[in-house]
This record gives sequence, C-alpha cells and structure tokens, in this order.
Amino acid sequence: MTDFLLAMVPDYGAIVLMIVTFLSCLALPVPASLLMLAGGAFAAGGDLALSATMAGAFAGAVSGDQTGFALGRWGQGAIDRFTRGKPKRRALVDRAHAFSLRWGGPGVFFSRWLVSPLGPYVNFLSGASRLNWFHFTLFGALGEAVWVCLYVGLGYSFSGQIEAVADILGNLSGSLAAGLVTLFLGMFLWKRMNEKDNR
Amino acid sequence: MRKLAALWRRHPILTTAFLAAAALTVLFTVRSVMFTVYWADPSHRDQAIKPWMTPRYVAHSWQLSPDEVIAALEVPLSAGHRKTLGEIATDAGVPLSTLTARIQAAATRLREGQE
Repeated sequence: MTDFLLAMVPDYGAIVLMIVTFLSCLALPVPASLLMLAGGAFAAGGDLALSATMAGAFAGAVSGDQTGFALGRWGQGAIDRFTRGKPKRRALVDRAHAFSLRWGGPGVFFSRWLVSPLGPYVNFLSGASRLNWFHFTLFGALGEAVWVCLYVGLGYSFSGQIEAVADILGNLSGSLAAGLVTLFLGMFLWKRMNEKDNR
Repeated sequence: MRKLAALWRRHPILTTAFLAAAALTVLFTVRSVMFTVYWADPSHRDQAIKPWMTPRYVAHSWQLSPDEVIAALEVPLSAGHRKTLGEIATDAGVPLSTLTARIQAAATRLREGQE
C-alpha cells in the first residue's frame, strides 16, 4: 500500500498529498509523513514543483481539520444524550470543555506537528467542546503550515534518506504524544487520589 | 500501595489507559533510539532502489546526474520521463533487478572516475 502510494507521488504529487493529509487529519491510518517526505525528495530531484507539493499537502490538511471539527460539532448531540441526567458524566465533559477553552489555541497548534498523532482527536474534541471556530482555524492553519514545511523541507534536504527520517520522526512523535497522554492521565489520577485522602 | 489499589477500583478504565499510555511511551522511545542507531551506521545509508523511485530521484539521492542514470538504464525513455523505475521495467520488459544492477555498475564506474 505504501509503495503503491509512493509510486503515485511523482505523477500526481499534489493531489496524492492532498488526499493523504486530508485522511490523516481524520485519524485514518495513511502514511502522510512519509509521503510528504517523498514529495520533498521528488521536488529536490526535479520531478515535482516544490510549491505545488506544499500547497497540496497544506490544502488537504486544513480541509481535513475542518471536517474533523465539523464532525465533532455534529457529535455534540450524542454527548448531550450521554450526559443527560448523569451529573458525574456532565462534570467530566464540563471539565474537558474548560480545558479546551483554556488550552485550545496552543493545543491545536502543537497537535498539528509536534505531537501530530493526537491531531485528529483534538479536531473532534475542539468541535465537540465548541472551541471558537476562528481560533481553531487560525491556530490549525499555522500548525499545518509548520507540519508541511517541516516534512516536505526535510524530504527536500535529506532526499537520499527519507526512510530513515520517517522511521526516526514517526517514533519520536509517537513517543511525545504517548508521553503527553501519560502525563495528563497521571496528573488527573494523582489529583483524584489525594482528593480522596482529604475527605 | 493500598492507595493504588483504591485508585484502580475507583477508576479502572483511566488507570488502565494510564498504564497503556506509559507502556506506549517506553515502546516508542526505545524504537526511536533503535532506529537512530540503525540509520547512524553508514552501511545502512545508501538508499536501496525501490520500484516507486524515478530515475531523477535515484540520481539526486545517489548524487549522480539525471542523464547519467538515464543512460545507465539502457532503455529508451520518452520526453519528460517522470515514470517510476517499476513502470520503466514493465514497459521495457526487463526485471527491476537488472535496472538496479545497471545503475549500481554505472555509479561505481563514475565514482571511480572522479577519484
């Protein structure tokens, strides 16, 4: 599958990247990072235009984010039903809402590129917790610009070693994302453990 | 320890998620280090030729000129030649391994000539 997509890149570079980044923003398992690196590498070799490659990846990523946000907003009704008459669940959702209002902008920005495995879930959550759309779009587009420039740029510079770059960065961003989730869950559980003591 | 057991009883799902996330963090960190060590070895660095690569891609990553790679293929190419090596091999009825061997031979010859 990956080799098939890679072989499509020199012929349909911008379109392939647009589709793949779009799908990756909706949590579908496509090798978006590797294909952006390949796009950069093909551009370095002269098979693709660098600007079109980047524009395609960026357009796909931004529209994927918007789709995820819209899906989250649409799913809010389900959350309302889930919490109706259940104060405990309501409190959890309210807490998530307060959290996203407080950290929404930077959260959206950094989940585009630094901890990109979390990106799709941040999209759904942002929509579901009614994060301001303009804020979401602004920070999202800025973050996607960093993501695209970083990966296409690395592919352009390290065109001979894109598999090495993909292996290392893929695991590094996985480690950062899992670490962040561990930290948040740990902090939450730690608080709960001490709350109970004080009672 | 009793505190932890109490926590487990009160939040079984969150505690499990926490432990799973911690395990994933360790796994990805170990993999990052392993891949860094693997790719830092110069003998792993020459990127193997794959069917999805184009002649210009190989030229760029092997630091040869596109014309040198295209000449090495010994296969007629139409203008533009944005075809992948896999497509070129199929069109010419030559196995990809033959094309790979030809490029490798040309690279060795050209690099020796430079020294």
